[in-house]
Amino acid sequence: MRDHLLLFINGQRHEVRGRDAFLSLSDYLRIRCGLVGTKIVCSEGDCGACTTLIGRTAASAAEFNYKPLDSCIQFLFQLDGTHVVTVEGLRRDGTLNPVQQAMVDCHGSQCGFCTPGFVMAMTGLLEEQETVDEHQLRTGLTGNLCRCTGYTPILEAGMKCQDAEHQRLGELYPAEPMLAEFERVANDSLQLESQSFGERQIACCPVALDDALEFLAANPNATIVAGATDIGVRANKAHQLPPAILDLNRIADLEFVKAEYGELRCGARTSWTTLLAAFRQAAPEFARILQLFGAPQIRHVGTIAGNIANASPIADSLPFLFVMEATLVLASKSGRREVNINEFYHGYKKLELQPGELIVEIRIPLPSESELLRLYKVSRRRDLDISGFTAAVRMQLEGDAIKQASIAFGAVGPTVLRAKQTERFLVGEPLTLETMQTAGDIAVSEVTPIDDVRGSAEYRRQLTRNVLLKFYHQTQGNLAQV
Amino acid sequence: MPSVGTTIPHDSAVGHVTGQAFYLDDVAAMAGELHVGFVPSPIACGTLTGIDATAARATRGVVAVYTVADVPAHNVFGPLAADEPFLADQRLLYVGQPVAIVAAETREALYRGIAAVKLTCAEEPPLLSLEESIAQERYLGVERRIARGGQIDAELAKAPHRLSGTFHIGGQEQFYLESQAAIAYPGEEGQMVVHSSTQNPTEIQTVVAEMLGVGFHEVVCVTKRMGGGFGGKETQAAIPAMMAALVARKTGRAARVIFDKDTDMISTGKRHPYLVRWEVGFERDGRIHALKYDFFSNGGCSLDLSPSILERTLLHADNAYYIPHADFRGRICFTNLPSNTAFRGFGGPQAMSATENIIESIAQHLALDAYDVRRANVYGVAERNVTPYGQIVEKNHLPEIFAQLAASSQYHARRAEIARRNATDPLTLRGLALTGMKFGISFTSKFLNQGNALVNLYTDGTVQVSTGGTEMGQGLNTKIRQLVADEFGLDPARVRLMPTSTEKNNNTSPTAASASTDLNGAAAVRACQQIKRRLKKFAAERLSDKAEGLTPSPRHVVFAENAVYDSRRPELRIAFGPLCDEARRERVDLGARGFFATPGVDFNRDTGRGTPFFYYTQGAAAVEVAIDRFTGELTIPRADLLIDIGRSINPGVDRGQIIGGFIQGMGWVTAEALTYNAKGALLSHSPTTYKIPAVTDVPLDFRLALFDYNDNVQNIRRSKAVGEPPLMLGIAAWAAVKNALSYASAEAATFLSLPATGEEILRCLTTVAAGQPVHSFKGGTP
Repeated sequence: MRDHLLLFINGQRHEVRGRDAFLSLSDYLRIRCGLVGTKIVCSEGDCGACTTLIGRTAASAAEFNYKPLDSCIQFLFQLDGTHVVTVEGLRRDGTLNPVQQAMVDCHGSQCGFCTPGFVMAMTGLLEEQETVDEHQLRTGLTGNLCRCTGYTPILEAGMKCQDAEHQRLGELYPAEPMLAEFERVANDSLQLESQSFGERQIACCPVALDDALEFLAANPNATIVAGATDIGVRANKAHQLPPAILDLNRIADLEFVKAEYGELRCGARTSWTTLLAAFRQAAPEFARILQLFGAPQIRHVGTIAGNIANASPIADSLPFLFVMEATLVLASKSGRREVNINEFYHGYKKLELQPGELIVEIRIPLPSESELLRLYKVSRRRDLDISGFTAAVRMQLEGDAIKQASIAFGAVGPTVLRAKQTERFLVGEPLTLETMQTAGDIAVSEVTPIDDVRGSAEYRRQLTRNVLLKFYHQTQGNLAQV
Repeated sequence: MPSVGTTIPHDSAVGHVTGQAFYLDDVAAMAGELHVGFVPSPIACGTLTGIDATAARATRGVVAVYTVADVPAHNVFGPLAADEPFLADQRLLYVGQPVAIVAAETREALYRGIAAVKLTCAEEPPLLSLEESIAQERYLGVERRIARGGQIDAELAKAPHRLSGTFHIGGQEQFYLESQAAIAYPGEEGQMVVHSSTQNPTEIQTVVAEMLGVGFHEVVCVTKRMGGGFGGKETQAAIPAMMAALVARKTGRAARVIFDKDTDMISTGKRHPYLVRWEVGFERDGRIHALKYDFFSNGGCSLDLSPSILERTLLHADNAYYIPHADFRGRICFTNLPSNTAFRGFGGPQAMSATENIIESIAQHLALDAYDVRRANVYGVAERNVTPYGQIVEKNHLPEIFAQLAASSQYHARRAEIARRNATDPLTLRGLALTGMKFGISFTSKFLNQGNALVNLYTDGTVQVSTGGTEMGQGLNTKIRQLVADEFGLDPARVRLMPTSTEKNNNTSPTAASASTDLNGAAAVRACQQIKRRLKKFAAERLSDKAEGLTPSPRHVVFAENAVYDSRRPELRIAFGPLCDEARRERVDLGARGFFATPGVDFNRDTGRGTPFFYYTQGAAAVEVAIDRFTGELTIPRADLLIDIGRSINPGVDRGQIIGGFIQGMGWVTAEALTYNAKGALLSHSPTTYKIPAVTDVPLDFRLALFDYNDNVQNIRRSKAVGEPPLMLGIAAWAAVKNALSYASAEAATFLSLPATGEEILRCLTTVAAGQPVHSFKGGTP
């Protein structure tokens, strides 16, 4: 049993145990390592000032795959076997990297507090693909806020830096020596423990799914994390962590995507980045929503099972999964079972998931070309914003008449819900504006929105009506491609 | 080659991009340094009946808990009037108000200590809205007024057309990325050094000294840089600085206060929300005859800078337009909220948006293009050029700016295209507006229009400059570096701007009012000129050649290319380093302090008349919006800006100020909504819930041009202030929404508030359809 993590930071080997294993990466960098270039603003993954690059490696790969992440909501215990690169690690022999140089030349910094985060996000973007166009650059930087520059000089820097030759991180930090160290401990069982103010904290980071289920059986109230984007925020804001944590990051079996027999099957730990790529082909309408889900830093670590199990009524993926009748595969020590996602939520944050159970796989039937599907995510800001309202409308027509209708709404009740009466009304009706107006009246009677910081109940009721009308205008007259 | 006018990088740019530029929380802790935080008031209004800190003091790692009883001397402060407590003394005034200070060995102990302090309070119903405050006449300070042209109601009655209304304007969080922060180091014999993230080091020095009960000379405040300020650190850096200083005094240990973002947003003031009652009388061509305003600003729980902000509102209610008969009144309303404070624009944005709202309303009423209404009202060059407060708008380029931008943005063709598309597009509603901006430069408090600077030359020919101005990203230090480099003919790399410190520059004005380069830059140049006079005299001797008949002549000495020479014999040069070294050996003073006071500005508050501004910065913006008719969601596909900033000292820096200011203004008018619960607690207290513009909100087609006219001869190197003015170009985005809604119906546009969030836009669109099916959005012109 290994009681410490092994990771590298800017090429330096770190063994982390005890209390430090439960620190956020940003705290570890700033407080323990003195790497204060990583800045903290929001402590909740909504500004990107703390962006660092984290290199992970797939089994048998000889290189790290670096992704920009928000280090304020990454815990050390998630990072066994990774190479972390911070803004201090970009410069070699006093030379700025091309992103840094372009930021200087283009006046990409003013107060400078967001700047290290932007430098890391852009370096990460160019690590993934050698060139990006302005659209890709913009969508690649939605996780970083700047209050001074109005972003334009930063975008100019992002384009300009591509003129210079980019030195990939793999050249700056050869992977082999680090991978060799990781290889020796790759299959160790790993459990981290700490005592603080008289409270015991444990995190179990198994390699095998069976070991995870074993731990869950023994610790049925353990909090299960992979991306930890939500408990990271809770830890920062409420200053406490759950006492027992099961971390899934080392379980390779939980990360896969397969499209077959008209459905997409994915492992529970599959990140939204991976799924976004998969759905670009399989369901572009859902990919459009995923592009607005969080930001790159969040999508790189946030997982599909996390979004489902977190059970938020405003979870961006759920309306789609509801109308597609996705199936969840749940595993425990005593076996596996399958649940339709429409049966998974019993109330606000109340799940069908039993203590000791783990979501291991999600199966999502894919929309066919002959049906209509439109998804809606309404938020104060287009990118990196939690939804104030979500909806999915799916229809199959037969002639002019609606043969089948599935409608799901989010942020208008304690869970995402299916508008069953509306669906029943629609079947057999012609798809006309009048039909959709009546459907809107029925739908409004099925939702129970509240006033909160993201919008008033009245606004949400109006949106409930309006998206049905918008659906009509978007789709009328042609069977638009889904 | 002169540096002024060139785009050299920000003087900290390399530090920024490498993470080597230090902010307060990046400074390594001194041995024994304490983490300091505070216990906030849980209620917005009531009486504090008890503080039980027993459990907190018993928490391992907690060193001390302090309350108002521990404050050595003064506890009540304010920049204009002492009315705001540092630590709550019985009365609780807002949610988040500091009640007790906790100092601890570790951050974790600090959190636990804060949570362990138990407060008992007698809660009373809070006063939260402007309407309630007005109804109860709970005003702070006196009514302010600027008027001209006779009895306003009589003048309104003379106009052939009249409109009136009530306009609601939301507040705005500064959202500087570095939250409020301070570190205090106790010194000998009661001295104190406070490092503060502040725009106003002199204020920090003053309040810390008064709180501790020591002379100002015992306290030094140092500000290296801020991670953004935007006005939010003009006065409100004081409380964290006092917290650190109190702990440092009591414990004898260094003390660090770093607010987290939520604490910062909950406990500090913002841009003032306004309620504006207006009535306008106008001619058939849209020309305004008379305008009556009653501005009510939401001051929060104390005055802070509210009177000055309200004053600037009254001084900008004309915006770019000549108002022959004006009566502008303003009051500050008390509410149980953190005291609202400075934010880029300082009351100007509220006034100017209110007036642009009226212009759009007049246009809709008369079925005219709003551009024509603006042109009918814009300040003239030779006539119709006197403001309601009596200042002549000199060197007025607004008519040319309007015309040039209308042409370059193809305003008229695009308006026609928008009308056509709006009539047929079932999904999207478009709008376009071109608004003007005229912003007065100077503090309206005359005494603040001064700056001092210290310039030190070293014997290798390098220069250190210290001024009272603080660097918050705006590029002040870069511009002063360029000004000083040019004075001595040096490469700017030889000039270093030093941290702002009250021991080098005393009695400084806050870095505010867009005027910091004007004031501190001019002061630095004056310091340079003193040194140059001495060096010229010295160099003239060295460069003279009696055999050749070249007599020493200081006026022929030229500083250029890191050297000096006599212009009569330019081939003989003395490098600047050796010159300084020799000058020192000959006992020439290589240091100087410069002082600058803006000439000619004055304003009489009692009569509301005077010449408060040294000059005006002017510009205009044309912004197009696209609205989802079903969700109210807004996108801004194109923005064109045209602005006169004189002869730019650093076009790269200024361009960043213009674009950044515009986007900040755009955020204020479209997206940034502050939401409170019924008990006065801020719900939108972090970027999860408070949405400043993101990179994808920047218009895809974004065009900026500088107005090519360099006649601002009275200011330093013919430049113009650039810090605040561009923010108000963002108002065009709001006006464009109002224009878009007018295509749905006149009613839809009438009641649009600011900000025009998606929810607000949908509310307006739905109001149109009240009583009829919501879908029936009609196209066509109003």
